[in-house]
Amino acid sequence: MVTLLSLYVSGIATILGSAIGIPLGALIGLKEFGGKGAVKTVTYTLYGFPPVLSGLLIYYLFSRSGPLGSFGILFTPTAMILAETLLVIPLVTGVTITSVMEVDRSVKDTVRALGATSRQTTLTIMREAWVGLVMACMIGFGRVIAEVGAAYLVGGNIEGKTRVLTTAIMLETRMGNFGWAIALGAVLLSVAMAVFFFLRLLQEKEML
Amino acid sequence: MKPDWRVVAAIAMVAVLVVATVVYLVLTQDHEKKTLRLATTTSTYDSGLLSYILPDFEEKYNCKVDVIAVGSGQALEMGKNGDVDVLLVHSPASEIKFVIDGYGEGRTLVMYNNFVIAGPSGDGAGTNSSRNATQAFTKIHDNGTTGNTKFISRGDNSGTNTKELSLWTSAGFNASQFSNSWYLSAGQGMGAVLDMCEQMNAYTLSDDATYYQRVSVNLIPHLNITYQGDPGLFNQYSVIPINATKWTHVNHTLAIDFKGWITSTGGQDLIASYVKYGHQLFFPNAPRNIPATMSSGIELHPGMPIGTVICNSASAGRIGPIAFVDVSKM
Amino acid sequence: MTESIRLDSVTKRYNDVTAVRDVSLSASKGEVLGILGPSGAGKSTLLRLMDLLEAPDSGSIVMNGKPVDAGTKQAADLRRNIGMVLQKPIALNRSVTNNLAYALRIRGWDESDIIDRVRAEMERFGLVDRRHKNARTLSGGEMQRLCFARVMIHSPDILLLDEFAANLDPANVALLEERVRQYAAEDCRRSIVLVTHNLFQAKRMCDRIALMWGGEIVEVAPKKKFFENPDDERTGAFVKGELVY
Repeated sequence: MVTLLSLYVSGIATILGSAIGIPLGALIGLKEFGGKGAVKTVTYTLYGFPPVLSGLLIYYLFSRSGPLGSFGILFTPTAMILAETLLVIPLVTGVTITSVMEVDRSVKDTVRALGATSRQTTLTIMREAWVGLVMACMIGFGRVIAEVGAAYLVGGNIEGKTRVLTTAIMLETRMGNFGWAIALGAVLLSVAMAVFFFLRLLQEKEML
Repeated sequence: MKPDWRVVAAIAMVAVLVVATVVYLVLTQDHEKKTLRLATTTSTYDSGLLSYILPDFEEKYNCKVDVIAVGSGQALEMGKNGDVDVLLVHSPASEIKFVIDGYGEGRTLVMYNNFVIAGPSGDGAGTNSSRNATQAFTKIHDNGTTGNTKFISRGDNSGTNTKELSLWTSAGFNASQFSNSWYLSAGQGMGAVLDMCEQMNAYTLSDDATYYQRVSVNLIPHLNITYQGDPGLFNQYSVIPINATKWTHVNHTLAIDFKGWITSTGGQDLIASYVKYGHQLFFPNAPRNIPATMSSGIELHPGMPIGTVICNSASAGRIGPIAFVDVSKM
Repeated sequence: MTESIRLDSVTKRYNDVTAVRDVSLSASKGEVLGILGPSGAGKSTLLRLMDLLEAPDSGSIVMNGKPVDAGTKQAADLRRNIGMVLQKPIALNRSVTNNLAYALRIRGWDESDIIDRVRAEMERFGLVDRRHKNARTLSGGEMQRLCFARVMIHSPDILLLDEFAANLDPANVALLEERVRQYAAEDCRRSIVLVTHNLFQAKRMCDRIALMWGGEIVEVAPKKKFFENPDDERTGAFVKGELVY
């Protein structure tokens, strides 16, 4: 149950974060605009954004005494998903930026010369950067499946409702049940391995 | 086009994730049950008491209790923000202020457990022979400043931390001025602090439940309870429903039901019957349970100032904690 | 209008280097125009300008009688009628079939029409055996044939070839040159601009030839005149292989 919830929360967060981060990264990577360097630096800096800070942010936004409190999503998996999505976005954006920029310049010229519109050009370049884009999702997922600060803060580690693998590990550790904690850790790694295995297959599939 | 089995595998994975989501959502439907959000402290939760007593409440009132276990300071903060329905904490001074400031609807005593001083088995500071807890702390201070021993504080605004600081104050010290050559502020939970004391041969103030728990998993073989028994080391728990006029969305009915249940004979007996690590950990002392002969003849009426001693529980050889009048019960 | 594309006094700089300096040149319908010259003379840049991939710093480009600004939607539309083959071919990371189909897909062709057309081009260029392979596994010669097919499949009126034979073996060169000839013959509205440093190829294929050197056009002349009786002495020296650079 805890495992399923971990997969659910981190999975949805990765999907949402990638849905935002990949287009954003492609835009930043491929378009020329003033301040591009600054935007890239900020994106990479946010790799180091402390998860617990993301949790605090969501907490204060959605607390009953906060601006969005009437939604009542605090201490539900939804709040956890939001906090984790915030963490995924900079990571996916940054890796996407690098991936699209690494696509050979000639590809862009070739495709434009074949008559592609700028939208078609962007999409084609993104498809050429497929390996990097899958990597972006992998990195995003890795970050959130393993994070505990935000999940604990906005989820509350409620048994049966918001307890995920990482917060369960925290609990067992706190209670001194180190054996259990390590066992849960092993489960987490196995789950992660299964996910990454599939993502790797996706990444290395022969492009046709 | 030949089917690319890797793409099929990827699609299968996404399908599995979606199915798992749906299954999960279906399984965790609350089946129309009402939910009570209870904020409590990590030490309370970790003792296992709640897992033991709550099923009775959940069955009687056909509801589900969501327990959120954090530090006392955080629990009170969550109460102020209206993010939970009821509190079960052990930080009397903070609780009083909480109720006075209007965040809670009264504070009702529920139970107490004991703080103990845990330290190295040799008891280098000689706390065991102290008259009372204050004197024990003085001894620790004197030994600490001469480099003979160390003390590790929770340093996290928890109930335990608050009690510890008040003991330093009553011994005439200002803890914020202690040197960190002997006084270490850990900012961690009780279990972690005990582990640190084990590693560093230091003293600390702990609740007995966490101490016994650590002993039971053999994590603190070199620590002992070096001092206990002083009534000043009571750790009083109270239940505080969150102010429903301020936060209209809170589950007020259930919160009041909870308060009623945990202070009822049934609830109190349940608390007393909880034995772990070979000890009864919690001692019920809700006002209803105080024998009439113990009320010492003070008349109670609404409007009485907070702070009045209303009971004197000599039965356990201890002076009971200062009890506050729960005006809502009158 | 007999000119398909004309450049008037076009100049293009990259940082401090002037790649193309005050060039005026035109290509007529039905002709094969060669551009000869040493490496670094600015030939590739010239082709990029002709393909409307970039805008000149000064001067103008006129297509079918109308002036064009690169980077506008007008240019993007016109570019659909121009095809370019580069010296170093680059294929998209997908199958040969999908590489060929790309130009048609982005133009919104029907899938059934695409299948027929792709099949036809593959047969013409001998790529049928490779059709399901990822294009990046092709040999150099196959790759260049792919790039040709990819460009010709959408039948542009202007074909720009940038030293396409530079890295190829004679068999492939012969095949592709023949295909270019066929392409020109199929439709008298087509123009072909062929950049090469191979004198013999220029002689084989071109109607008119321009000599480019140091970013400037030294001379433009019909083939016979270019080789036998050029106006400029540099042309004569180049033809004899004596131009020192």
